[in-house]
Amino acid sequence: MTVLVAIKAVATVDEEFELADDGLDVAPEFVERELNEWDSYAVEAALRLRESGALDEEIVLVTVGDEDAEEALRAGLAMGADRAVRVWDDSLPGVLGPLAAARLLAAVAAEMSPSLVLCGAQSADAAYGATGVALAAYLKLPHAAVVRELSYSADAIEVTRELEGGLLQRLRLRTPAVLTVQTGINEPRYATLRAIKQAEAKELDLTDPASLGVAIGDLPEAVLDRVYVPAVEGAAEMLEGTPDEVAARIAEVVEREMAA
Amino acid sequence: MMTRGEAPADGPYAVLFEPVEVGPVTLRNRFYATPQCSGFGADRPHAQAYHRAMKAAGGFAVVHTEWCAIHPEADEWPAVTGRLWDEDDARNLGLMVEMVHAEGALAGVQLGFNGAHSENLETRRPARGITQVPSNTFHFHSCYEMTEAEIVELQGFYVEAALRAREVGFDVINVCANENAGIPLQFLMRAYNRRDDRYGGPFENRARFLLELLERLRGALGDSCALTVRLAVETHHDGDLGMRPEHEARRVIEMADDLVDLWDLEVTGRSMAEWGESAGPSRFHREGYQLAAVEKARSATAKPVVNVGRFVHPEAMVDAVRRGVIDLVGMARPGIADPFLPTKIRENRVDEIRECIGCNICISRYEQKATIVCTQNATIGEEYRRGWNPERFEPAADADRDVLVIGAGPAGMECALVLARRGMRRVHLVDRERELGGHLRWVTQLPGLGEWARVVDYRKIALAKLRNATFVPGTELSAADVLEYGAELVVVANGSSWARDGLNGFDHAPIRGADASLPHVLVPEQVMVEGKPVPDGPVLVYDCEGYYMAASLAERLAREGREVTFVTPFAEVAPYMDYTLEAIGMNRLLRGLGVALVPQHRVAEVAAGAVRGHHVHDEAADVEWPVAATVLCTQRVSDAHLFRTLEADPEGLEQAGIEGLYRIGDCFVPRIAAESVFEGHRLGREIDSPDPSEPLGFPRERLLV
Repeated sequence: MTVLVAIKAVATVDEEFELADDGLDVAPEFVERELNEWDSYAVEAALRLRESGALDEEIVLVTVGDEDAEEALRAGLAMGADRAVRVWDDSLPGVLGPLAAARLLAAVAAEMSPSLVLCGAQSADAAYGATGVALAAYLKLPHAAVVRELSYSADAIEVTRELEGGLLQRLRLRTPAVLTVQTGINEPRYATLRAIKQAEAKELDLTDPASLGVAIGDLPEAVLDRVYVPAVEGAAEMLEGTPDEVAARIAEVVEREMAA
Repeated sequence: MMTRGEAPADGPYAVLFEPVEVGPVTLRNRFYATPQCSGFGADRPHAQAYHRAMKAAGGFAVVHTEWCAIHPEADEWPAVTGRLWDEDDARNLGLMVEMVHAEGALAGVQLGFNGAHSENLETRRPARGITQVPSNTFHFHSCYEMTEAEIVELQGFYVEAALRAREVGFDVINVCANENAGIPLQFLMRAYNRRDDRYGGPFENRARFLLELLERLRGALGDSCALTVRLAVETHHDGDLGMRPEHEARRVIEMADDLVDLWDLEVTGRSMAEWGESAGPSRFHREGYQLAAVEKARSATAKPVVNVGRFVHPEAMVDAVRRGVIDLVGMARPGIADPFLPTKIRENRVDEIRECIGCNICISRYEQKATIVCTQNATIGEEYRRGWNPERFEPAADADRDVLVIGAGPAGMECALVLARRGMRRVHLVDRERELGGHLRWVTQLPGLGEWARVVDYRKIALAKLRNATFVPGTELSAADVLEYGAELVVVANGSSWARDGLNGFDHAPIRGADASLPHVLVPEQVMVEGKPVPDGPVLVYDCEGYYMAASLAERLAREGREVTFVTPFAEVAPYMDYTLEAIGMNRLLRGLGVALVPQHRVAEVAAGAVRGHHVHDEAADVEWPVAATVLCTQRVSDAHLFRTLEADPEGLEQAGIEGLYRIGDCFVPRIAAESVFEGHRLGREIDSPDPSEPLGFPRERLLV
């Protein structure tokens, strides 16, 4: 049996950047990819379940992404996951929506019949918070989102979720189930150099939508029109001069705006 | 890319890159590297030239020498200063001129003659002075009172030195009238000038020496060089004994303005020993602290004005220029911490500036008659002999290795940074604490030492930008963990701890009853980190180290309202702070806070309720201090166990694939942070040498027979 952890190689953007010529994303030279922070908590949760003896199963990472996503998979393998699967086809759009990603992840999960599926509660870049939930729907499995505590037994999982207003919610789910975890559920481990090196030798399979029986044209995909920096609304006025001059100008502006 | 020194078209800092005309020369921007000791004088011409040229390469418009003695009667040896006694001295400084010019900057030289303050230890010549009064800075040393003819002759020494400097290409000739040192300043001050001839008495007479001197220099130099004066506008003397910006300073500036191309105005203290008012440590002075005094004198001149004040923030520089207080931003220490400060501002890389922390360790080496070092910039002074450039790192020959650095204090952070910049495959910097910094995490919480956190901030920002560097917090590694970690190179930098039994260098033994596991005995980490309560009542702080720790803890406790007694075997409180120009201020501060200062006393026994000791030179002179708590700052002890355990297991290292095991910083020998940073840097630079644990040699500039 398997614990499946779905992860994403999220984009981190330099402080200063430019948009790509097609207007659909930040230009690649300003982007770096890394393991989504929330997903590192999901990997850690899987490792801790195994280390506590609650379950003794292979931990498999899965992601949908191009070659640049492999570093994030390797990071999860270095933490202690056993192997990884990457789903990709060059005809997939560079920025994939959560439903399309979930559809492909579900196809991988269906082949493994995992006893538990873990995801991060959201991705740091797109932040839909939807992929894990959609994955549960495709798999027709019970799910809980934004989990901050969990305990596992052979037939049920108990989780604690955080609600607005400081309330906590305690749930019990039958297994298998899909959980999306919140940061703070644990403290993700740092991989040692030895673990990083060992991760380089771990199995990393590449598959594509066709092999999983998914037609790319059937993926539920919103069409991305453009990514842009919003026009600045309301003019910002930079005040220059000595502190006294600037103070005088601020007083003028305040009086003007109060009068308006 | 813009070329060096060129102005950015716009942006908030553009004003700093406007050219400024100074007499016959044009400065390419407003960054002005003032005369700065210590350099390498005229005796180490290569080190001098490479050191000064680095600032030119970093974008400064003009780079000065240090104070240069114009004549053998102004001999500062063994302090490292410049000399212009003859053509050979000038020729040696000429290499600096050549290299500074090659980087597109102008070269400046400072002409110095200090009267009674020159000990003349090498030349053994009596020094001429204004009035026969001994130096208040160098003990048991006086001068002879000049005749008018000897005054004229002295002016001639200046002219001859200036011509020698011009001959080798200096563009800016600066007259030292600052820090109680330059004799032109001494002439101006009643505190030094008790003459009743035409050079003494009324201010017009006291100003005569400088005016005649400038006339003669101008006459000799013509328009071939800029002629500038570095003038103390405030000397903190009582009444009219010294310089006040709105009185003596304004008057002399008005009188001499036509003869001068630029005024370098500064604030200093009452004696030469108090030049910590000029080179203000961050403990007592904030950025731009001299501007208020300079502003009072500024309107007396139509010429450009420069002032130092440990400027590191471009906003503060722009503000001072826009307000019209200064035309040029003077820098010595900020340009030591980061010679490329102008370039980084121009290229909008402000977060990459290694900001000066104002610890004055650079100056400490001058005071110790040694050459320059810096806590922030390990490469300073190493430009020639080690060939280091603070911004350039060669790819390591063994860059395919993974490195584990244990301990994220000054040594570990710097080593990890250099190794990452040299392209090592992966560098893991591991610390048991959650944050970078090592002991600086809590030392910077001591009163007055907040700016020292810049050592951590710079490295934190720089490491975060390097993909091959990872900080692993909250992880304490045993020797077995290190073997398991998987690194080919292991650097141990896990620091030191304060002795908990009073072990110290005066007794070479622990102190009876000193046991920091007892409630009434504490060491610095317990007070600052562990939250151990200091029992109510009077506190005794015992200092056998002599630098900042005990004094700062005494200050902190006194500020908390505690009754504090400071006991030390040293002849004075915190003698190492004499080197950093903090001692006078620290003594004043502690006295002001009501701390009882007890130098020359040894603690023999620590008991509950009382500490017993005696005078260092009279064991019969017993003293008992009734105190509720004792804070022991006796010595630091290296945390050497991890390194020694690993070192003792060569088979384990080999099996683990560890090819190199090194130790740096306080876990090797507890020293000042600058040495820890240097050691981390040095190991990083030489990680691919035949034996990285052994520093590579360097050329020494010496005469061979």
